[in-house]
Amino acid sequence: MAILRLQDIYKDFSGLQVLLGISMEIQQGECHAIIGPNGAGKSTLFNIITGLYKPSRGQITFLDRDITRSSIHKIARMGLSRSFQIINIFPKMTVFENIRIAVLSRFNRRFNCTSFLHRDRRILEESDRILSLIGITDVRNVPACEMSYGMQRQLELALTLARDPILILLDEPTAGLNAEETRGIVPLIRKVIQGKTLVIVEHDMEVVFNLADRITVLNYGQVLATGTPDEIRGSEEVKKAYLGRI
Amino acid sequence: MNRSRVLKIAGGGIASLFLLLLPVLLPEVDVNHATEILVFALFAVSFNLLLGYCGLLPFGHAACFGVGAYATALIFKHITGMPFVITIMISALSGFVGALIIGFFCVRLSGGYFALISLAFQMFFYAVALKWRDVTSGDDGMSVSRPDFYLPGLGPLSLMNIQYLYYITLVIVVLAILACYLFLKTPLGHAAISMRENATRASFLGFNVFLTRLAVFCFSGFLAGIAGALFVVHQEFVATTVMDVHMSFTVMLMATIGGTGHFLGPVLGAVFFMVFQDWISSLTKHWWLFMGIFFVMVVLYAEGGLIGLFKWGKIRAWFASEKES
Repeated sequence: MAILRLQDIYKDFSGLQVLLGISMEIQQGECHAIIGPNGAGKSTLFNIITGLYKPSRGQITFLDRDITRSSIHKIARMGLSRSFQIINIFPKMTVFENIRIAVLSRFNRRFNCTSFLHRDRRILEESDRILSLIGITDVRNVPACEMSYGMQRQLELALTLARDPILILLDEPTAGLNAEETRGIVPLIRKVIQGKTLVIVEHDMEVVFNLADRITVLNYGQVLATGTPDEIRGSEEVKKAYLGRI
Repeated sequence: MNRSRVLKIAGGGIASLFLLLLPVLLPEVDVNHATEILVFALFAVSFNLLLGYCGLLPFGHAACFGVGAYATALIFKHITGMPFVITIMISALSGFVGALIIGFFCVRLSGGYFALISLAFQMFFYAVALKWRDVTSGDDGMSVSRPDFYLPGLGPLSLMNIQYLYYITLVIVVLAILACYLFLKTPLGHAAISMRENATRASFLGFNVFLTRLAVFCFSGFLAGIAGALFVVHQEFVATTVMDVHMSFTVMLMATIGGTGHFLGPVLGAVFFMVFQDWISSLTKHWWLFMGIFFVMVVLYAEGGLIGLFKWGKIRAWFASEKES
């Protein structure tokens, strides 16, 4: 069953055509990678799916509901969560406080002003569970901005997961990581996405072919190919446009 | 219990004792001045709820203060026998409604745009107060007389007695500041703080940034409304000066000088500002020049405001360096 459907998505920025009629479906439970050269429109596509940009044309449905014009927070509350290519956390808060903010949103306490957050056992316990799932319990009380880049990447992933989303969108989760850190993050992603649907944008082909059930290749704002990793690896068109150059 | 906590409790105890005994220890003129300081301390805390905790710098926060002040003055003038506490509550709600109107248009913006549009709304409110002479008496202002305060068991207490006025102001201000402190411990308070840190990320986590900021803006207006009401009770007069640019910038200076990064920073800033102003203005009529110089020095050399100088870690480091040398 397709939980996310993109139908003929166009996006232009003041005349610059970035997406030119993207149509794709994300099936429930699959791990779908989106690859393509820089400027292909991968991040723009993520921004359109999550509500940051509105498409110039086309329709997006998530869980059979039209989210084309929905606001960011409403899409997030429906169970669609994303990470960012450039780390996007709450830098002055501790690691635990970062997670706690996401968890309180998940438990619908966003406008609660009659109870104290530090006494809400449900939120505190769930926040600690997520910290331990990601493996960052030992830096629980460290301000996020004081952590290493690799740890911040893990926190970014934890924030994305903390809302217990149905669909996770990871935008280059290994960007800026060294080879060892990248090798460490693949099993972590595999561990935390169990039972969920994943869409990942990634340049590291080892990560992509390790994780993905299906791959969509974008080039100049259009879908060049969609298929299993083997099909994509064997596609001459993809080799010519992208894989052949690496 | 660590030393920092012991120091905090001891400091709080001494400050509480001083506030309670102040009318006994100081002459009436100083009690009068202390009452005014309390009012501005609350105003500065309400301002800092936006600047320090939401990351919103309002250039026109005096609008809510002024709405509360005019509401009180109009009630005193037109409704005889209205209980004092009800008057304060109505004024606070007026500040809340004023903030709701202003905030609805302002909080969707941030940074300089937010600051300037809040100033524009304040000038609009100021113009209404100035021109609607039938109701507000324009820049002539309105004189009001302080009502009696009925306390169960004690009967009416005349607020013309400065000591009674001081204690009642103290109770209301402490309760309002405490409410603000507790508000920041709630999920909504934490949500507001997260938006100061990173509003985009907060919205991707499901927070409605606009509504959250509007809720905090309204609560800040509520507190500013109380401060405005107490200001009128203290001054026995209201004029357009309660919502002019000068008032907005005064509270901004208080909060910044005291330190916006700490909950009690604005309180310290209000105390310092009022005492310094009182002292320097007795020496020279160009006191704003010295206040300006002091403000620049605080911004340049006292990161985190005056309260930042009292951090236990810094004091300990200073003692350690003295010991070494």
